[in-house]
Amino acid sequence: MGMSGGSAEGNDKSEGQSFSCKNKLTALVVDNGGVCRVIQTALLRSYGVETEAVETGEAEVELIASGATFNLIIIEMLLPVLNGPETARQIRTMGAQSMILGITAFFDERDQQEFLAAGADEFIEKPLSPEVVIPIIRELHN
Amino acid sequence: MERNQMRRQLALMRQSFFDQGFLDEQFIQLEELQDDANPNFVEEVVTLYYRDSSRLILNIDQALERNPLDFNKLDNYMHQFKGSSTSIGAKKVKAECTQFREYCKAGNSEGCMRTFQQLKKEYAILKRKLEAFFQQARQAGPLETACRSRN
Repeated sequence: MGMSGGSAEGNDKSEGQSFSCKNKLTALVVDNGGVCRVIQTALLRSYGVETEAVETGEAEVELIASGATFNLIIIEMLLPVLNGPETARQIRTMGAQSMILGITAFFDERDQQEFLAAGADEFIEKPLSPEVVIPIIRELHN
Repeated sequence: MERNQMRRQLALMRQSFFDQGFLDEQFIQLEELQDDANPNFVEEVVTLYYRDSSRLILNIDQALERNPLDFNKLDNYMHQFKGSSTSIGAKKVKAECTQFREYCKAGNSEGCMRTFQQLKKEYAILKRKLEAFFQQARQAGPLETACRSRN
C-alpha cells in the first residue's frame, strides 16, 4: 500500500516537515493502550516531531522529574493509578511548560473541565488526526 | 492469479470495507502512515489491536459474569477498547462500544450483555475480513507509490 497522492490539508506532510528543519519539535505520548501509543507516535513522527511514548502517568512524571522537556505532551484521560488530569497537575506543579493535550475515548464535559483545570491546554476525543496535529505544530513553531 | 487482477480484487475488497461500514476514515490515516520505512505498518497495528483487545474482551466477559455488575470497571475496560477501536477505524465495533457505554451509564445489565455479544460479533467479522485482506495483499505484492481512491 503506497502513500496516496492528494494535498488535502489533513494529509500534506510537507507543511509539518517544512518546520522540522528549523526547530525540531518534541512530543511525549502517554497512553496505557499500545495501539493508541503506536498510532499517535507514528502520526507525530510523520510530521517530523521527535516523539517518545510511555504507558503510565507515573512514567511521565518520572521523565519530567529527570529533566526531560517536550514541546507537546498528549495524555490519555483514563490512565490507571495516576489518571490523566492528575498527571497533568503534577507536571505543571513541577514547572513543565509543554502544551498538554488531553485525549479520551469518550468525550465528556466534566472530564474536559477536570483536565483543563489541571493544566491541559486542550481536550479532544480520539483519534488523534492530522486536523488536530497540524494546527498544534503551527502554534508550537510560532 | 495474475497480479494486476489480484490488486484489482484487493482494491474492491478494501472499498467494500468502507461501503459496508466496517471501516471509516481513520483506517485511511493508518494507510497514510505506511511508507518504505514502515511497509507493513497497517497490518502490524491491526495485529497489535487484535492481540491487545482479545485480553480486554476476556476481562469484559469475566466482569459480565459477576453479580452485581461493576459498571465502573466495565466502563473503564470499554474506554480502552473504544480508544483502540476508534484508532484503527473499526466503525461498527466503535458504535457498539458507544452503545455499551450508554447501558453502563444507565446501569442496564441486560443491555450491556446484549450489546457486548453484538460487539464481539462485529469484532470477529472485521477480524476475518482484515485477515483475508492482508493475506491477499501479501500475495499481490507491494504496490509502487500511486494515487489511491479515498473514501
